[in-house]
Amino acid sequence: MSRDLEDLLRSGLRPVDPGEAFTRQVLARVERERERERERPPIVASRPRVHLFRWVSAALAASAVLAVVFYNIQERREQMQGLAAREQLLEALRVTSEKLDLAYQGVQTPSREDDEDSHDS
Amino acid sequence: MIRDLRVTLFALLLAIVSGAIASAPASANPLLQIPEFEGLAAKASESVTVTLDSALLQMAARFLSADDPEDAEVRKIIQGLQGVYVRSFTFDSDFAYPQADIASVRKQLSSPGWQRLVEVRKRKEGTEVDVYVSVVPGSNKANGLAIIASEPRQFTIVNIVGAIDLDTLHKLEGDFGIPKLDIESKPERR
Repeated sequence: MSRDLEDLLRSGLRPVDPGEAFTRQVLARVERERERERERPPIVASRPRVHLFRWVSAALAASAVLAVVFYNIQERREQMQGLAAREQLLEALRVTSEKLDLAYQGVQTPSREDDEDSHDS
Repeated sequence: MIRDLRVTLFALLLAIVSGAIASAPASANPLLQIPEFEGLAAKASESVTVTLDSALLQMAARFLSADDPEDAEVRKIIQGLQGVYVRSFTFDSDFAYPQADIASVRKQLSSPGWQRLVEVRKRKEGTEVDVYVSVVPGSNKANGLAIIASEPRQFTIVNIVGAIDLDTLHKLEGDFGIPKLDIESKPERR
């Protein structure tokens, strides 16, 4: 009984040659796995891209903020220049009007003493 | 009555101005070479220096309110202007300013194309006021105005470049803190 079992086991567990085809398939699969590994980007290699993306985003945001600040400064400067120009213009017209008025008065009311000296052409 | 007479006289003056403009012989450069008078500002008790070129005038016009009647009047005046230049100095003592500099400006106004419209000489008061216009040849349009006013303690040079309406300019009297002539309340000058 025990001998039969032993023979059965021995025959069942005897080494069997898998054959050339099986070996080729296994080797081919190993090679495919290696290829796949090579093609897959390593985790460490993706970090610079993340950094680059962050830097670009930060630079864009900073540029946008700077552009807004620059625009506001420029607008404020133009406004101040415009208001100063307006004040100068009003002052110039005031002086002009004052001197025209002086001429007007001189022409309109020449005094006797000045009669000989005042003319309007 | 006197007011009416004055208005009539001024209207007559403006008519004379128009006639003078129409008969002007040649074109002058309406932009005067005004000395800088750099040292005078320190000596003067008051000084007004205005230099507004075309770009600055346009900028100033943007800040004139469309709703304010005074600003609207100013906007109308500066519409055709290319430059406004004013030098005015007031001193604490008589004739503290260089006569030679004023003479150099007067000399520029003696060139053809400039027409003297008004000449006021008050020897007793030491006041001299001259108003000149420069005209576009072949038209009766003024393209420049110059005023030289010298008083014992003040001298003023005004040069306005561009199309000028003297009548509108004179209407500004009173709008810039200058009281309008109230003849009835003023004593008659002799």
